[in-house]
Amino acid sequence: MADPAIPAETIVGPTSAPDDVLRVEHIAKRFGPVTALRDVNLHLRKGEVLGLLGDNGSGKSTLIKIICGFQKQDAGKMFLHGRPYEPRSVDDARAQGIDTVYQDLALIDELSVYHNLALRREKVHHPIPFLANREMKAEARRALDEIGINIPRIDVAVARLSGGQRQAIAVARTVNSDADILLLDEPLAAMGAKEGSMILDLVARLKEEGRVSILMILHNYVHVLEACDRVSMIQDGAIALDKPTAETSVEELTEIVVNEYRRARMAAHEATTQA
Amino acid sequence: MTQVAEEPASPQRPATPTGDPAHARRVSLPNRHEVLERVLGLREGSIIVVTLLAAIYFSVNTSSFLTGANFKTLLPYFAPFAIMASGVVFVMILGEIDLSIGAAYLFAPFLFFKLSKAGLPLVPSVLIALLACMAVGMINGFFVAIVGISSFVATLGMLFALEGLTLIISHGQPVATPGAAVTTTTHNVTHVVNGVHVVLPETVNHISTFAKVFGGGIYSELIWALVIVIVLQIVLTFTRWGLYTVAVGSNKLGAGEAGVRVRLVMIRNFVLCSTTAALVGILEAVRASSVQPDPAGANEILFQAIAAAVIGGTVMTGGSGTVVGALIGALFLGILHDGLVLQGVNANYLLFYLGLAILLAMTVNVYVQRARRGTHSG
Repeated sequence: MADPAIPAETIVGPTSAPDDVLRVEHIAKRFGPVTALRDVNLHLRKGEVLGLLGDNGSGKSTLIKIICGFQKQDAGKMFLHGRPYEPRSVDDARAQGIDTVYQDLALIDELSVYHNLALRREKVHHPIPFLANREMKAEARRALDEIGINIPRIDVAVARLSGGQRQAIAVARTVNSDADILLLDEPLAAMGAKEGSMILDLVARLKEEGRVSILMILHNYVHVLEACDRVSMIQDGAIALDKPTAETSVEELTEIVVNEYRRARMAAHEATTQA
Repeated sequence: MTQVAEEPASPQRPATPTGDPAHARRVSLPNRHEVLERVLGLREGSIIVVTLLAAIYFSVNTSSFLTGANFKTLLPYFAPFAIMASGVVFVMILGEIDLSIGAAYLFAPFLFFKLSKAGLPLVPSVLIALLACMAVGMINGFFVAIVGISSFVATLGMLFALEGLTLIISHGQPVATPGAAVTTTTHNVTHVVNGVHVVLPETVNHISTFAKVFGGGIYSELIWALVIVIVLQIVLTFTRWGLYTVAVGSNKLGAGEAGVRVRLVMIRNFVLCSTTAALVGILEAVRASSVQPDPAGANEILFQAIAAAVIGGTVMTGGSGTVVGALIGALFLGILHDGLVLQGVNANYLLFYLGLAILLAMTVNVYVQRARRGTHSG
């Protein structure tokens, strides 16, 4: 594959701040012939909300899956609180304080709302480890109330809920964990305007509390400018922009994407004329 | 698991404003309609209805169906399948299938025979035979969960290979099941006939305690079946093992992302499935006191076990199923078989009628299920 679009000098190199909780350096990942990530450098500061932007197929979700321990990078290093971070599994990443809302939500349709919320953090009785359903229900009720999303019945299978409600449950599951770094892969994807603003309110509340740091993939630039402290834009598997949201605008972000589109068009045009 | 979700609201639960009056009424006096609704609300509800219908039909149409003696005849027609189907349910909820249970069923008793003949005591021989079949399940799980072969193909390969291995080690010869020999003693029993004492010899058959426990006793297989079904249903409904099984079967990728160790869950269930099949193989060998190296017979049992699970409400696409349902599915098949025999159906027609009856029952099952969904979600 010919290296497309971005000239090397526009790629953002490794950067850091003294209060970083997570640092990602030179991450690369290939799936067979497809290069998903070329050279990604990213850092997340304590209590910060970082927006990750990028077109479809730019590698955002792959990056999230590497950070959360679901996949392993081919090259590059990660640091958690300054120490090398090599998650062996999702469980391992979670034990180290990183929890994730996946784009596909990772919900189990056949299981009830409260079982989904508790999955892999089930409460069990002692000494015989039967599921402590009543406690999990109470916990689920509390977590959902805290988010402020209305789920009338928590003992029905999630298959029977709307897209927005499902999304809310996925977000609640992550927010409710003890993690201090949250990765949210398009948390607003299936949501209506009202539900979406509830999630953004929740993010704002978490930011105020300052306990967690959030890395969030969003599509809507307005949402990014509203909810995030800083924005990183990923293009063709590398970070092409890294700026505080206060210093950028919808216009600038749009400009970058449109420029990339033009470059790609031009490259394609050149390729066809040469042939 | 929706069994949990559908359980009747307990009084301790915080009352919901809308459901409260109806809920209170239901607790105090459930009327007939509500009982029916609640039975149909169970996943096993429809097959319970169908099985009852079959039982009523044969009770009315044959004089001998509803007798104690016939109940004993019925047992071997369903207890073994109930045990095997319980294990199969765990694999089918994953959305997988295990065809190799036919081979585990056949292989285990021959291994038991070999070990016992080599001088090992009976119980350790049984345990080692079961362990060997656990290893078979582990190999199945390895090919499906780690290599990534479809379970149909992987376990079909295992079915042929292990049945072949059984033929090799048995040289194709039937053997007498160790510990299952029937000893006969003769007693002189005095009868009084018209005031005259007549002494007549009577023979009494004895089997060892081992045989009584492992399938030889009249109710042995029934007790095994009930215990295994209850234990496995509890595992499925009330433990993490069951929760993860449903999670993997419903959304394998999502379960993995949530941190469920998908491969472990899959391998564990394949091991369970092989073990139940191996146990049934040994129970049946002891019950019959001899065992034939007959792959065709074993394969028929494999399909009956899968049929019992499917009839009991376990879906082949995964994500949903019940062990109790499998027991009732096996009971339905047993009643059908036994009832048709009692009705004097020609042996040549038996399988034909059985097949038609399964199709009919499953059709009724589907309609009852639709009605049930209608009552619940509207």
